[in-house]
Amino acid sequence: MALIECRGLTREYKKGDNIIRPLDGLDLDVERGEFVALMGPSGSGKTTLLNLVAGIDSPTRGELTVDGVALGSLSRNKLAAWRAQHVGYVFQLYNLVPVLTAYENVELPLLLHALSRRERHGRVMTALQRVGIADRHDHYPRQLSGGQEQRVAIARAVVTDPTILVGDEPTGDLDASAAEAVMALLGELHDDLGKTIIMVTHDPKTAACAERTLHLEKGRLVREAGAMEGAAV
Amino acid sequence: MRQIPFHYAVRNLGRSPVRLATSLIGASLVVVLVLASGGFVRGMQVTLSENARLHENVMIIGIGSEEGVERSQIDASVAGIAAASVPRLTQRAGVIYASPEIHAALPVRESSESQADLPAVMRGVREVALLVHPEVEIVEGRAPRAGADEVMVGALAATRLGVSQERLAIGRTLWFDDREWTVVGRFRAPRTVMDAEVWIPLTDLQIATNRESSLSCVVVTLGGAKFSDVDLFVKSRLDLEVTAIREHDYYASIGEFYGPIRVMILVTAALIASGGVLGGLNTMYAAFAARVREVGMLQAIGFTRVAIVASLVEESVLASACGAIIGALIGVVLLDGVAVGFSMGAFALTIDAPVMLAGIVVGLGVGVVGAIPPAVRCLRLPIPEALKSF
Repeated sequence: MALIECRGLTREYKKGDNIIRPLDGLDLDVERGEFVALMGPSGSGKTTLLNLVAGIDSPTRGELTVDGVALGSLSRNKLAAWRAQHVGYVFQLYNLVPVLTAYENVELPLLLHALSRRERHGRVMTALQRVGIADRHDHYPRQLSGGQEQRVAIARAVVTDPTILVGDEPTGDLDASAAEAVMALLGELHDDLGKTIIMVTHDPKTAACAERTLHLEKGRLVREAGAMEGAAV
Repeated sequence: MRQIPFHYAVRNLGRSPVRLATSLIGASLVVVLVLASGGFVRGMQVTLSENARLHENVMIIGIGSEEGVERSQIDASVAGIAAASVPRLTQRAGVIYASPEIHAALPVRESSESQADLPAVMRGVREVALLVHPEVEIVEGRAPRAGADEVMVGALAATRLGVSQERLAIGRTLWFDDREWTVVGRFRAPRTVMDAEVWIPLTDLQIATNRESSLSCVVVTLGGAKFSDVDLFVKSRLDLEVTAIREHDYYASIGEFYGPIRVMILVTAALIASGGVLGGLNTMYAAFAARVREVGMLQAIGFTRVAIVASLVEESVLASACGAIIGALIGVVLLDGVAVGFSMGAFALTIDAPVMLAGIVVGLGVGVVGAIPPAVRCLRLPIPEALKSF
């Protein structure tokens, strides 16, 4: 059984009198431990799919099951608890809290888990070391570069050891070298920890790091490619 | 439900010093306003109800003058007749506690050359008045002597007259009835209307007001007597045309007269405080609107809406609590005890525990009410849209 199963997944929005359908009856399986890149033009539905998988949006129709849990049936609060347990989200603009240090930002999702202060400390330091930024644990986001901020954001996403890691253009706001470093880091997390990663990107070079690249257009899956093929598109 | 850590709320206060200053000033102003209006209402209330709380005094006044002792005219002989007729009135060393008094609102002047009339509340008394009104304590000088053109002034008399305290110092003079009267004593009678009065020997005031054979009232202290004894006396002596009223009830009825004024003051304070709340709302809308993406992130990683609203409200309440403390300090230092004149004399703004509590509660309320709508609005956006906002 696939970790993520989408069947007839549809998301509609009402805009005035028009109905916009960024996702239109999508069928998709993602296996545990896969690294998937979602590509496609603007409005193709890739971020919508990512948000549905991450449990921050709900489908209008169809079924979405993650690790055996039908997300559409969960209440808002249960969905929030599910996210805290199962999802690590890496944002394009990092979304670090400016008034918290790198350490405190990484610690934030752990506050939703029943852990002692000592256990939290251990996990935060491990996560910061893994992303190579432990020496900056007491720095505030304004004292870090974009690449360093994204490393902290990745540490925050993995610190709870989530079932899936989702990234919405995680390198979209970084220069080439920082983007390369971040992708190397995500690759390590996938290879070493076997994390299931789903990532939205516009950049074929970034998509090349994934095992599988899914191309979406008008809310439908139009093509699927392996790593090298995805990079070549 | 897991809460967002408190230090998140604390540190968020430092994000915008201007917003923090606005919140602090707004909350402290609202609290000062509540303390001022509450202190005013409380001060007036206390002044008009304290008199007979400690001492069971009954006023014998002219029939039909229950609403204003200044209008009362009773025969001067009533004091002696009442003292002799009502059994078991308090007495000490042969002195029965029955104080004949004239209450008069008279214009006085600072000197013969002065053209401005100062509105004084005068009470013509004999020595027994100090027994009947034990709240009165001479703190400087002595009681005035009859026939020597002397007066004694209360602690708030200067406020009532609209002059400085120095102007009523011992040895200074006031001008009325075409002659100078020397201040020979100062007294205090805290939280009573007497604190704002000018006391003068009864016979001197009788002459000055051309009412040698009449009084305004006789105040008796019950002691072993009951109110019904005094009541029976006035009802059995119809020829005297007097009635009896407890001193407490008399001032309570005066207090009722000022009820609408107190309500108006409280309503005005509430309206201005509402303005403070609206100002707080505006500030918080702007502050939280700038953090929509951050709030989206908090939701995305699993914090519930309730936890986020609680944190935002916590932040707002923290600012307003600091403002409330500043306002409370300003209130206590600058407002408590400040004298305010009114037609019955003067009273001191009274910022006691209930008023202070009201001020602090309103201050905190500004924080809560000012934060909830902006916080809820901030959360109304779906998470994906919140994450896209700038």
